[in-house]
Amino acid sequence: MNLSANPQLIELLAASHALGTLRGGARRRFEAIAREQAPVRAAALVWQGRLASMAELQTPVVPDAAVWTRIRNLIEAEQQQQAIARQRAAPTPAAAPAEGGWLSSLALWRSAAAAGALATVVAVVVGVNLSDQLRNAPAVQYVSVLHDDKAVPTMLVTFDPKKRQLLLQRVGDYHEGEDKSLQLWALPPGGAPRSLGVLGRDAALRLAAQEADVRSVPALAISLEPKGGVPSERGPTGPVLFKGALIEKTL
Amino acid sequence: MPDNPRMSAPSPDAELMALIDRVGHRDEAALRQLYDRTSPKLFGLAMRVVRQREWAEDVLQEAFMTIWRAAGDYRGSLSPPMAWMGLIVRSRALDLLRRRTADRAQLTQEFDEVMADTFESDAANPMDTADASEQAWALHQCLSQLEGRQREVVSLAYLRDLSHGELAEQLKLPLGTVKTWIRRGIEKLRTCMQRFA
Repeated sequence: MNLSANPQLIELLAASHALGTLRGGARRRFEAIAREQAPVRAAALVWQGRLASMAELQTPVVPDAAVWTRIRNLIEAEQQQQAIARQRAAPTPAAAPAEGGWLSSLALWRSAAAAGALATVVAVVVGVNLSDQLRNAPAVQYVSVLHDDKAVPTMLVTFDPKKRQLLLQRVGDYHEGEDKSLQLWALPPGGAPRSLGVLGRDAALRLAAQEADVRSVPALAISLEPKGGVPSERGPTGPVLFKGALIEKTL
Repeated sequence: MPDNPRMSAPSPDAELMALIDRVGHRDEAALRQLYDRTSPKLFGLAMRVVRQREWAEDVLQEAFMTIWRAAGDYRGSLSPPMAWMGLIVRSRALDLLRRRTADRAQLTQEFDEVMADTFESDAANPMDTADASEQAWALHQCLSQLEGRQREVVSLAYLRDLSHGELAEQLKLPLGTVKTWIRRGIEKLRTCMQRFA
């Protein structure tokens, strides 16, 4: 069919196509012609763009604040997973910048032929690496083993005060559903549960935390929540799956 | 061509595009700003498509996760920023509806209530032009020339991706009426939109 002789028909078909009411065989024929004839294709794209603006014409409705909390939680969990993946990929990332600085200054040192100074630099670099390694060694100040209602251990939680991180290691074979997230809570005495973060799906994960978040908290709990978790101030909405005492390591 | 009163104002599109660029560089603060600026509009859209608050919240959440991951590719889409985000919301919303087709009966019942509300107001929705693109402004002008019920049928055909038959069934209208309204609606849109080309 030679549509190009009938620009008005092209427009009507393109508009119906973009609206979605051109269906079945008629839709397939129009799409086949659009692939062959550039003016038809152009009209189809123009109408898709025009009708896409329909999205902007709806009456605004302010969403509940919980939606942003869930989005932020998901993004933080994703970022943490990526950070862990990067750490795994580069076992000693702290050494890289020191080495770069040393290499880039090598030419200067060579021209000065200052072997002694070079030795000093190498010593400093090695020193930096050693102190980095010491600094990166995990410190453990608080420990908790969470268990399910049959006393089966499911999660090991430790708090590293130097990195201000909670480290969580899944030890059971529990897997939450695709549309659910596990959320970690501090259970302070006489107070409402406080969210410590939402867990990603990895076997090991980290959550940023301050010592104040875990100090004088006798127990931790994990609840099953909608994907992305719930806002802290409302407390857990789903069932509490795992619980455990939080113990300060004093030795 | 009618005058657009917003022509002289600084382009909201440029601000939104700058935010999307920053989101593309994994800037969480920019995502928050983008959310604050656009979520009422996008949530309104999600509500319109899926009709239930809880579902619309899931749609908005999934849409913003998609925006977070795809923002780096936004420029290549050549779309105005609100249209790009709107397409993401609509497609997530239609995904959700497809997943819930089992609840068809319940859906139709609610649809009747929504349609009763929808058809009551014959006037064009007052448009919040704050963040609307030039293109949206043009479409708004042209849609307001349609009679209320025609405009709703055209809008719902697009937003909920419904065929003539589905529209007739859900709106309890004769198929012939739906087809006529859609055909006239498209014809009016065509002549009107030409003036903005």
